[in-house]
Amino acid sequence: MPIREQGRRMRLRRTGTILPEARIRHYDELGDDAQATVAELAGRPRTAAEASDLEDGDVVKFTDYYVVRAR
Amino acid sequence: MTTDFTPESERLIMSDSYVIIGDGIAGASAAETLRQEAPDADITVITDEGESLYNRILIKEYAKGKLPEAPISIHDESWYDDHDVDLRLDTVVVDVDVESDEIRTHEGETIGYDKLLLGIGGTPQQLPVENADAKGIHHFWTFQDARKIKESVEDADRGAIVGAGLLGIDFAAICGAQDVEAKYLMRGDSWWRYALSNEGAEIMHEAMRERGVEPVFDSGVDRFEVDDDGHVEAAVDPNGERYECDFAGVAIGLDLNTELVEGTPIEVDDGIVVDEYMRTNVDNVFAAGDITRFYDVLLGEQAQNGAWGSAKEQGTIAARNMIDYESERFEWVSSYSITHFDFPFLSFGHPTLGDDSVEATTAEGEWRRVALKDGKVVGGVLIGDLSPQSAFKKLMREGRDVRGQTDLLMEPGFSVDDLAAPTEQ
Ligand SMILES: Cc1cc2nc3c(=O)[nH]c(=O)nc-3n(C[C@H](O)[C@H](O)[C@H](O)COP(=O)(O)OP(=O)(O)OC[C@H]3O[C@@H](n4cnc5c(N)ncnc54)[C@H](O)[C@@H]3O)c2cc1C
Repeated sequence: MPIREQGRRMRLRRTGTILPEARIRHYDELGDDAQATVAELAGRPRTAAEASDLEDGDVVKFTDYYVVRAR
Repeated sequence: MTTDFTPESERLIMSDSYVIIGDGIAGASAAETLRQEAPDADITVITDEGESLYNRILIKEYAKGKLPEAPISIHDESWYDDHDVDLRLDTVVVDVDVESDEIRTHEGETIGYDKLLLGIGGTPQQLPVENADAKGIHHFWTFQDARKIKESVEDADRGAIVGAGLLGIDFAAICGAQDVEAKYLMRGDSWWRYALSNEGAEIMHEAMRERGVEPVFDSGVDRFEVDDDGHVEAAVDPNGERYECDFAGVAIGLDLNTELVEGTPIEVDDGIVVDEYMRTNVDNVFAAGDITRFYDVLLGEQAQNGAWGSAKEQGTIAARNMIDYESERFEWVSSYSITHFDFPFLSFGHPTLGDDSVEATTAEGEWRRVALKDGKVVGGVLIGDLSPQSAFKKLMREGRDVRGQTDLLMEPGFSVDDLAAPTEQ
């Protein structure tokens, strides 16, 4: 398993296209911390500390489809 | 007493055999954990479905036309080969014999086990009304159901939906997303009336209306009418109102698949009864997921969950206790969201239980309700603003007595620190 970079920030960007190879996570699959982060970031131009069970490029199904960008 | 004549050297290399019935998230997460924590074990996973583990909570998105099939798969068949798990697809287990530690399949094959896990979930109930099995009338549990729903709803103009709960609303969202005008026929005067008051439910009703789905209250289905081809053409409610439809979705509840263990000593009480370690009253038989009536250590009594996260955790916990009994308890606050609308909805814990509740509209389109039992939070519903979910779940885990402070729970920015420090018992 690749080692995660520490201290990265994540944001969510609404996306309309879902590629067949995308890793899609339903909100209910996420742990408590990731759920709180998604609820906080969805639809807002904000960043938060990267949640442990989300990775750059993941697509989250919440009130819309959001792609995770972690830097 | 029996004497084991197996030489010590041989006993050490003999591995335990684990049989898991059901390849839903409970069974599959147990298989994953067993493989990680018992590398030499023989593991067999048996499912009556024709495909291996997929994401049951995303199949509604497929039916809505929002997702392709591929990302919904979780374990493809190569996963089982790679992890040395013997997967049996399209195989129905028809008998469990706990005296001889064997199960029997529909093809007459007998498979022995040292430890058995029942992750067998439930089956949607049919409406006990005329023409309930007509073409165009759907139930929703499997990916195969989702494929049929998608095909049928894409050709439909008008829909009827029955079942005012968490699965019924998925049908409403599917109709909305597929531009099918639908009537949502509910028995009472609001959606999910066991967990929400009219005020909260009205936010959901309005969201349905915006998507072309009209809630119809004090209604339901008395019978379906069919055309000459046996295809549904109308739902007739108990008041005699006739609603034309060429698609119908029925989600009135689940029958747990306990039939399999009827006639065995395994205790059943509307679900397979297990302790907090997921063990049944038969020492080497465990159960996990929707099928269980488990001892909820937070609630202090037997309870049931019907949610993905809980089923996954129960599978993991069951596996650990199958390897080493009493090694880990199931201690979990379940939650279930609805993400079909432009605002979120979350139910947590046991929102339909309790002896008291508090509720409030905290801002426009934001509503919450917290269910209490003996002064402690046992569950609730959040609409619009999910920010207090971590705090409410924490209160549940800690078993905090919030008597006399329940108003604080309704404050928009509520945090656990707002409560007076807990007093020593
Ligand atoms: C349409 C839909 C939407 C949902 N949405 C959400 C959601 O948004 N959030 C959420 O948290 N939860 C949701 N749920 C509930 C969630 O999916 C379930 O709680 C969870 O999947 C239960 O997992 P399980 O492994 O216990 O049971 P299941 O997934 O039902 O798996 C049981 C498996 O055992 C098999 N089986 C049963 N009997 C036998 C037998 N005799 N022989 C062989 N195989 C057998 C069944 O065919 C099935 O494959 C939804 C459910 C559905 C159907």
